[in-house]
Amino acid sequence: MFRVPLLVAVALIATFGGGIASVLWALKATVGFGSIAIGPWVAFPEAQTLAADPYAKAHRARAGELLYGGAEGLMFTAATDDSGASLSAACSYDISGVTPPARFWTLYATASNGAALRPGPDVPSAINSWTVLRAADSSFVIHASPIAQPDNWLAIRHTGNFRLVLTLLDTPTAGSSGLIDLAMPKIVKTGCGHA
Amino acid sequence: MRSVLFAVLVGLIGAALLHIVIVLTLPQFTGRDAYTRVLGLLEMDSFFPLTMEPGPTGLDNNDPFLRTAVCSFSVAEGPARFLARGAVPFWSLSIFDSGSNEVFSMNDQTAVNGNLDLVVATPIQLVELRKSPPEALAQTIMIEMKDEEGYAVLRALAPLDSFEEQVRSFLTESRCEPFQR
Repeated sequence: MFRVPLLVAVALIATFGGGIASVLWALKATVGFGSIAIGPWVAFPEAQTLAADPYAKAHRARAGELLYGGAEGLMFTAATDDSGASLSAACSYDISGVTPPARFWTLYATASNGAALRPGPDVPSAINSWTVLRAADSSFVIHASPIAQPDNWLAIRHTGNFRLVLTLLDTPTAGSSGLIDLAMPKIVKTGCGHA
Repeated sequence: MRSVLFAVLVGLIGAALLHIVIVLTLPQFTGRDAYTRVLGLLEMDSFFPLTMEPGPTGLDNNDPFLRTAVCSFSVAEGPARFLARGAVPFWSLSIFDSGSNEVFSMNDQTAVNGNLDLVVATPIQLVELRKSPPEALAQTIMIEMKDEEGYAVLRALAPLDSFEEQVRSFLTESRCEPFQR
């Protein structure tokens, strides 16, 4: 007797449950299409434009962030190291190499939800292209670690996973489609725990 | 049993349609997109400097070296003008429409003499401005915006703590106001 209403209920539950869950999953998994990836670094140069795809528009409307315009800069995010393993706050990483051409760059760490980590004024929590110590060929090595390090130390005071955010300001990279040939710094794990 | 499978299948097709509908309509009803957050600061026609901690509507300086100021404006009544001058190592400005789409962006090296002087106008207002250009706008960059409402984001760079004072005065002295000839 209740067979037909039951079937209708099953169909409706599958529709709304599946539809809403898949949207939440899709918006959490990615910022949209049109990303450029160089090693572990990912950027979305068109996410703020009218040409952004519907997923990018839905994502930016939910996140509500002030995105960088094309002439302002391009924000690269890395959630993994070069081997593909998630960045863990218990481990130390070396970020080494050079950045693509830019007038200025900044590097800092965020939690997995995108909020910047602020370990306090006593430890260096962000590095920029003026303050970084470089080798003679202008390459650099930055040690992202919970333990104090010599040279360039990016202090990570967090539990769980974190992300690295490298923002290039006034960079020709933002408008370039030949981006894949550009070099980004490598992220290599150097050890875990208080060893 | 077959009819249950059929119901689930119909449900999944519905889910796919619903997925598309939600993704396409989400920008209209999230209520926490960047434009709504800028409007929520209740500061029309002046730049509002953001702080390091999230403000009342959740906006903050997310980059530790960049200080950000936002301004919501409307060109329905007349053009909007943006002015800033000062010695900071780097500044940049983006204009977004109410759908948070980038309309225009620039930085200090693409500006005239390194100073910000920009007028945003609707296509009709722009035609009038070009027909009889006012003296005051001789050096001004004029851009066209189809949407009537929007917001501007001005960022200035403080690479070291000692630049803090300069950057703060750059942002507080910057102006975002309706243009009257």
